Amino acid sequence: MVSQLLVAAVVGLGIGACLQKGRFCFVNAFRDLFAYKDTRVTKGVIAAVLVTMVFWGTAYQFGYFQGFWTPGWGLTGIVGGFVFGVGMTYAGACASGTLYRAGEGYVQYWLTLLFMGVGYVAFVVAFPSLQSTYFASLTFGEGVSLFEISPVPAGLLAIGVAIVATLAYATVLGRQHTGGSERATAASARPATIVGTPVVGLQRLAAGTRSYAAGVLDAWADPIAASKRPWDPRSAALGISVFALIWFTSVSIVGVTGPEARWSGYLLSLAGVDAGSFSYWGSVLFRGAGVGVTVDMVMIAFLVLGSALAAYWSGDFSLRMPRKRRLPNAVLGGFAMGAGSRLAPGCNIGNIYSGLAELSVHSFIATIGIVAGVYVMTHWIYREVGCAI
Amino acid sequence: MPSIDDVVDAPDELDDETAQELYEDADRTQDMMGEVCPYPQVEAQKGLQQLESGDLLVQETDHVPCTENVPKAVGDDAEATVWRSGDGVYRIYLRKN
Repeated sequence: MVSQLLVAAVVGLGIGACLQKGRFCFVNAFRDLFAYKDTRVTKGVIAAVLVTMVFWGTAYQFGYFQGFWTPGWGLTGIVGGFVFGVGMTYAGACASGTLYRAGEGYVQYWLTLLFMGVGYVAFVVAFPSLQSTYFASLTFGEGVSLFEISPVPAGLLAIGVAIVATLAYATVLGRQHTGGSERATAASARPATIVGTPVVGLQRLAAGTRSYAAGVLDAWADPIAASKRPWDPRSAALGISVFALIWFTSVSIVGVTGPEARWSGYLLSLAGVDAGSFSYWGSVLFRGAGVGVTVDMVMIAFLVLGSALAAYWSGDFSLRMPRKRRLPNAVLGGFAMGAGSRLAPGCNIGNIYSGLAELSVHSFIATIGIVAGVYVMTHWIYREVGCAI
Repeated sequence: MPSIDDVVDAPDELDDETAQELYEDADRTQDMMGEVCPYPQVEAQKGLQQLESGDLLVQETDHVPCTENVPKAVGDDAEATVWRSGDGVYRIYLRKN
């Protein structure tokens, strides 16, 4: 138990610091992609998912793991994911973003956390009837990770999926590139071939990675100054993946809203509510072990502290008071995130980060739901100035 | 030799003195303290639409991500520089092209 608490502290502090330094925000990653075709943070998210997938697949193959998180799959992922995606875009921060900004001193996101808590409690109260209606009719099958059922060894499967994903990304990149040069040199342009497009994309990807690596090497010349500067989201992604590997081998996959929902039950039990008598807290979240502090609850508390320390070190910490007109974003956005994350189930970390990295069928569906929610809400928020995609 | 600035793709930073001078010269300022994403991005785009080429729009904000995503949001419409106070306040200078 002591060693697990130590792991929780190290992993929480590490992930919190990486999130803060990389401004690793899943809303930014998708919203700014849709609004401006800005892929800076999106690249970080993709890197984090792929690197973590290879780490976890390899660790699983050699038996260094505790377990996957694979809820039953079905339309709950679309419905709950969509509600969560709308909520996080309106709130201006995802589940992990809310936590790291709470650590940076944003009162706005403490309020968001509070109303996520209200969302969890509302869900817990409604759970018995949701279970027999919503979950019973929209869940189609047992949850599974492709790592468990694939005849290919998990490590190889992860590497294979990472290569396919990289090629797909290179094709998109190459198409943009050849599309641009075709216009520029219309007379001499050859039509892009099926083979040519990914190759151009891979060359660009390689060039981008080289300049990134050179920049990181350059930063090593003065590590203290570099540690105070903002980091490339890809650096944060690598850091997060290393801490997530430690967590995977010793505890579980990384989650945020699950532990938060446990916190809501635990805090209410301290206030005298018999949280264990509610079936969602008692038998689902705490699995009949009694309402108490679990190791993942400790981890996310340290995540907030890690972000606070990193922010203080970088000159980004300050107690920020919210504006009155942004209170609806915290109240409604927080509530939708809390409730949506339970309806899916899972948040951006459980589904987009951990869920895709562990190749969970449910998380593929929930990721579609979350991204669709971000897309719709982004178009609504930018209705006056317009979106690029 | 590429520097870290090429990698993080962040706008150039201003020193304290230049930042103050420019702030006093601004054609328009927007108080974005306490705001969250993406509203400063939307306000910057709307604000620039009402300015002439060469005019300076300055946003004062306490929201860290804005120092990068506001310049990204205005794209080629303006040249962006930022100033970091060191205690959680930032100014984003947008000179309309």
